[in-house]
Amino acid sequence: MTPSPLLLLLACSLLTGCASMTPPPSRGIPPTPALAQQLSDEGPQRLHWRQSSRKTVPWADTRSTAGDAESGVVRDTSVTEQQNATGTPHAVRTALGEVKGSTHTLADALSKLATRPPSLGNRGLSGANGAFVRHFDYGFNQLLWLRGALGSASMLTDVASQVADSEMELALLRMSGPRLQASMSGAMLLAAWIDFLHLADVVLRECPAYSVEKLIRDMRRVQGLVEPSMAALASADPERVEAAARALPELMGQLTREFLSIREGARVAMERAGQAIAVAQLVEMITMVSAMKLALPRLPPAAPATFGAGLVVSSNGVMMGSQLVVSAEWVEMMRRLVQAGVLSASAVSAAVRIHAGMMMAQAHGDLPKGVRDALGEGPEVRGMHETGKAGAGMAEPPEHHVLPREFREWFEKRGFTGAMSIDQFCVRMERASHEAIHGGGNWKLGRTWPGEWNRMIMTALLDAENKAGRMLTRNEILKNVAKRMRDYQIPMNFIPWRGP
Amino acid sequence: MSDGRAWQGNVKARLYERVRKRGYDSLTAFAEARPAVPLYLLAEELGKDDVAAVQVLSGLLAEAEQRKQVTRFVRDVLVRELSESLPNGWPTVLDDANRGEVAMALGTWTAYTPTTHEERVRRAGAALLATPPPAGWRPLGPDDELLRMLLPDEEA
Repeated sequence: MTPSPLLLLLACSLLTGCASMTPPPSRGIPPTPALAQQLSDEGPQRLHWRQSSRKTVPWADTRSTAGDAESGVVRDTSVTEQQNATGTPHAVRTALGEVKGSTHTLADALSKLATRPPSLGNRGLSGANGAFVRHFDYGFNQLLWLRGALGSASMLTDVASQVADSEMELALLRMSGPRLQASMSGAMLLAAWIDFLHLADVVLRECPAYSVEKLIRDMRRVQGLVEPSMAALASADPERVEAAARALPELMGQLTREFLSIREGARVAMERAGQAIAVAQLVEMITMVSAMKLALPRLPPAAPATFGAGLVVSSNGVMMGSQLVVSAEWVEMMRRLVQAGVLSASAVSAAVRIHAGMMMAQAHGDLPKGVRDALGEGPEVRGMHETGKAGAGMAEPPEHHVLPREFREWFEKRGFTGAMSIDQFCVRMERASHEAIHGGGNWKLGRTWPGEWNRMIMTALLDAENKAGRMLTRNEILKNVAKRMRDYQIPMNFIPWRGP
Repeated sequence: MSDGRAWQGNVKARLYERVRKRGYDSLTAFAEARPAVPLYLLAEELGKDDVAAVQVLSGLLAEAEQRKQVTRFVRDVLVRELSESLPNGWPTVLDDANRGEVAMALGTWTAYTPTTHEERVRRAGAALLATPPPAGWRPLGPDDELLRMLLPDEEA
């Protein structure tokens, strides 16, 4: 093969040990700057990103003062709230579209890898007497749930766009949040996993000195690292998804170290076997892995504190020194999603940390203030609490069905199934509030109106259906439920049912 | 957005404290000064984050029970519901979508009606659909002529 100048350059930088895998995927996962950082300042990749981030971005235009590009960003919150009303659905769709794009890329990469015939001597990931088949299968299985999560999230976004009630629209968009979050984080993690499959493939083909048994152990160990987080992301449980998304930078750090250790092991094995000349070729082959545009970030820095301090916001996006970490468009999109409560600020911060290579557990896992300000803050809508904030061991208020469970079938017939099932429409309520809306407490001043929620909402819906002379549509039901929730001051933050 | 504060503390005391602060000695007087204003807006005026529309509804009912004007109260509930659901009055054409909208308003009326009047209200709602009022009909209060024919006072 004839290496291109770009690949040679990459190979050289890889040899320096300042490791990095990956150029940015075209869409979905925000640009990982790691690779570009190792190219010369005018490297083609980097130029490309800079151009793509030059588009007009609202907050970049309204920044505090001209010539103050590297300082924090000051915004008028009332303006951003207005933007939210129209911007949130668009931001959700854009974010979903980007993750869908990355998922396609990942599926392609996985298929190519799986169908690549083994080389002479049955070497390669698809050979080796099937020892690595389970690792392919693991990758393919993740694609299944990723597609499912993306499908549900898109469906919720569609329903949201049709429901004629702004509170309910926002609530439905927030319901898509955990799925969006899960697929964003899941795509990053799967990309890292596919990087390992590529690595193993190259080592098997090009590095006979590295024992296959050792590689089998390596891959099992790595899959063992990936599995718990991936399972949490696949669970569709908002709190498990959130916790996994927050912890992803540390995991990516661990995976990067594993990657480097396998690569180093292969290099040493080849040198010992006296195949010094082949080393350069091996490194080049591993570099091809990076050309697959997947996602392992760079090695965690030795001094994370000073590293983090280097992150600043500019009109291009979040910069580290002269390098772009994430684009201004990406920051703006995330800020909208955070403000609307679709994604949590901590999960988005985690994504930025991954792309900046800040994967060490840090004092507060925090980004510099300027970056945090740019990403904005959102309502705590998922009942997530910082450890100790709500009091350790203190039970959270229990969740309750808004649409009465006794009428599950009735709702199913009207389209409340799957991601729209009545189990997805639960709210957390303090005991006193819950008892009150179920007819307890002393608030009912009038004696002859029961005011009990389940009885009231079903009377309203059944009588409406009777009057309409046809089944109510799901949208009609959602609209009415939204108004009644407003009348009862029931907070419209839906969480899925986790009880029996 | 609601954070559940409406259900903490003494609901009745809070309701009447707010009503008095606005210069009324009863919820009914407060509401009558705001004819055809939806219940949720009455609640919002009394306390944006800590008064619920159904609390206002229940308070108005309690006063109506004492004054023996429950039927009038029930008509008033429909007036306020219609002004929210059909702000432009009764629809010109009762197509599928409009029929759904009207049906939801009437269903809510039934659900917000005391048990003593529930059957009458169900029938009145059906009668309204069977013999629709003129297009644009928009009752401005519980004494609307058509409404009084539909659901006449029984009380002495």
